[in-house]
Amino acid sequence: MAYKPQFGPGQSHVAENRRKQMNPDHKLAKLRDVSDKDIVLVMGHRAPGSAYKSAHPPLAEQQEPACPIRKLVTPTDGAKAGDRVRYIQFTDSMYNAPCQPYQRSYVEAYRFRGIDPGTLSGRQIIECRERDLEKYAKELVNTELFDAALTGIRGCTVHGHSLRLDENGMMFDMLQRFVMDKGSIKYIKDQVGVPLDSEVKVGKAQDAKWLKANTTMFHSMVGIGFRDDPEYVEYITRIHELRVKYGFMPKEA
Amino acid sequence: MTEATFPQCRISTERLLNPETTERLLNKLIEIPGIRRMVLNGPNLPATVTYGPAKGLANPHTMRKTIHVGDQEIPLQVHVGTILLELENREIIPALQAACEAVFTHWTFRIQEGRYMKTTPSLVDYCKYGPDADKDILGMADPSSKSKPVIIQGTK
Repeated sequence: MAYKPQFGPGQSHVAENRRKQMNPDHKLAKLRDVSDKDIVLVMGHRAPGSAYKSAHPPLAEQQEPACPIRKLVTPTDGAKAGDRVRYIQFTDSMYNAPCQPYQRSYVEAYRFRGIDPGTLSGRQIIECRERDLEKYAKELVNTELFDAALTGIRGCTVHGHSLRLDENGMMFDMLQRFVMDKGSIKYIKDQVGVPLDSEVKVGKAQDAKWLKANTTMFHSMVGIGFRDDPEYVEYITRIHELRVKYGFMPKEA
Repeated sequence: MTEATFPQCRISTERLLNPETTERLLNKLIEIPGIRRMVLNGPNLPATVTYGPAKGLANPHTMRKTIHVGDQEIPLQVHVGTILLELENREIIPALQAACEAVFTHWTFRIQEGRYMKTTPSLVDYCKYGPDADKDILGMADPSSKSKPVIIQGTK
């Protein structure tokens, strides 16, 4: 019987949303259309339209050592061209944001190639070759993984994940990279806080009902609590128990 | 001699407050006689970017405004989320509740009683104010900054 991945435990809709996002066979719903140029502007690594800077010559032009792994793995477009490695970093509010750091890393590992995700408590960074990054960033921003008010593209000064929301429902941002203008949200600074020459519109925030139905975050006050999903609790308890026991280096008889 | 201990409260709200809401609330609070000290807490909003490639650039932020409370101008330095109060007595807590209810019509809030303000000088307080610091100004402003407490004339 062929192996069928389960992606994760849980009976709640939060668990179901997590599995849905992780499953590469599930096509993520497209909610907005931020252009390639706008993505490049917000990331701030290069001027839109400029050439990609490279870290090494294209693979076709350099002598590669005889290596069975290199024969097995097809390089990504960015690796083929020798692009430098760049990043995009997201902060997700714990008030029903559609994605969250751990989830992001799982999602990216299932869906993308040639990436290095870094997971922290309130933010998640993904590093990869620049032209691959732009492709992936577009998917991360334009689909159901992103909400204009509760997800922030923040390279530094990311604080906001665990803070209460502003009165208008936006996540706190010390640098106020994105602002609400007549109900629509636009980026006025790039991800590290340098003002943009032209604004980047990311559209309206999703309504509370949609967020509650599509979030991957357990939150007992604004959504469903972690302890309300007994299967998830059982799974995490088991992992915790095994890890603690392994800490004592048990010897099998 | 026994030192007087005044009751303290904390007002925390469901959302971080806009400067306009903070102004409305504070103007209602100062009408209540018997508030000795007040601290506005929340995440910092620096005037310039403090970290990263944009370090040193101006940091315009719509939540950092100067608000007008009583007869004083208060330049906000934080996005207000919690208000600490030291009261003369517990009897004014219902009045605080009423003031909050009048302002927070969309969001929930709660008023808790406890000890929330600094009671003893820290090392930085000692460096700044010396050994005979007035205990009433401890914790009223960040001792490492140049900001000072704002004094609003009471109604008593």
